[in-house]
Amino acid sequence: MLPGETEECGPAEDLAAAAMTLARRFAAGATLWCVAPPWPSHSRHVAVEFVHPVIVGKRALPAISIDGARARESVRLLARPGDVLLAVSTADDACTLDLLERAEAWGLTRVWIGAGPRPLGGRAEHVVWLEGADPRLATRSGDVVLLYHLLWELTHVVFEHPGLLRAEPDCTEEVCITCSDEGRVAEVRHALGGGMVEVIVEGRLETIDATLVEPVTSGDLVLVHAGVALTALGDGSA
Amino acid sequence: MTSEPTSFLYPFIDSEERDTSALLVDLAASARSKIHQSRDVRRATLERCAGALAQAGAAMAARFAGGGRLFAFGNGGSATDAEGTAQLFCEPPGGRALPALSLVDDRAVLTALANDVGYELVFSRQIIAHARPGDIAVGFSTSGGSVNMLRAFEEASRRHLLTIGLCGYEKAAMATSDAVDYCLVVRSESVHRIQEAHDALMLELWAIVQRHLSHGEGS
Repeated sequence: MLPGETEECGPAEDLAAAAMTLARRFAAGATLWCVAPPWPSHSRHVAVEFVHPVIVGKRALPAISIDGARARESVRLLARPGDVLLAVSTADDACTLDLLERAEAWGLTRVWIGAGPRPLGGRAEHVVWLEGADPRLATRSGDVVLLYHLLWELTHVVFEHPGLLRAEPDCTEEVCITCSDEGRVAEVRHALGGGMVEVIVEGRLETIDATLVEPVTSGDLVLVHAGVALTALGDGSA
Repeated sequence: MTSEPTSFLYPFIDSEERDTSALLVDLAASARSKIHQSRDVRRATLERCAGALAQAGAAMAARFAGGGRLFAFGNGGSATDAEGTAQLFCEPPGGRALPALSLVDDRAVLTALANDVGYELVFSRQIIAHARPGDIAVGFSTSGGSVNMLRAFEEASRRHLLTIGLCGYEKAAMATSDAVDYCLVVRSESVHRIQEAHDALMLELWAIVQRHLSHGEGS
């Protein structure tokens, strides 16, 4: 066995689903924002794959690598709702977890590639994971690189099917977060006084009632339902 | 695509296509096949290169034991392999942290050299500035023919560095250059499979170096 290799053949189905989503987002005009806080070389590598394809004739797609240290501020300023955040990391990387949570408020679709213990659900729309692998070895054994090489390749295969690029996939989750009564993650922008705050949620500015979770400051994450902040999720210091 | 006269031959390439399930099955099958291919290439490469890896790893360990440092370089995706290699040696998953630097990281130096003296000299000029005779030069190139890589190896060899190249074709200039002490060649037609195998080769070299240093060999 290779270092970090797992018995399983790998997350082929998860790659296929992620590629379908990514191609559709690109077709709709999205930019792919790439971060890899524990392993910065991976975010640059995955971005260059999309921008400068190794196969002549494949279209250049907008993918941009952002360094981990400045990622929160940069992605918040640069990304538009509908863009995609691709993170390459371990499941417990604090910087990645913070970004993924905020990305939901910013209206980004999230793809998370990594190795080691699989993350808990709900942090990304697509999780492509090498379970059972030692992430410290998988990151340099070729296995992590293989995952995003395949994501790039499969995304271009989807582009050969123009009819499939238009529609978003149907909601197939048992409990779909956008269709249910579950709260949505919001990032606080400004306190407006009188318990009201301006937040960004699903990429849009909204004014909500924050009296249940006060005090809140700019950058805090809260869970919002029906215009009311129900729970504070963190102070953004992660 | 429907306007193509041959589109009836390829009904699946159709702008009216709506059902994703068939394509998802194909994509997953393709991914599974490529995952096997990648692991086969890496396994075969490690086996075929075992002798060269043992020798190169021992030589690297001796250099590190003598205070040598590793300089890594490459272009594009291979530049990120250089960056990842430096991180592997400096922040190892185990064993001893070893001095390694990627020559692609400083954008001021890279753009100054590319602008003023030409892109073919961006690595060799840094070798001239930084390298000492006991150091190690490691270069990644899937084609094995990049001019700036060859210039860097020639400069490094002239300055008595240990030179290690990773490339993708047996007949590449890097594989046949006298300036490269150990050239590890991946036999594949795919740039991606070559890059994945380069990672596996470098991880193996790192592991060999660590084994030598933990046993006090090479010192």
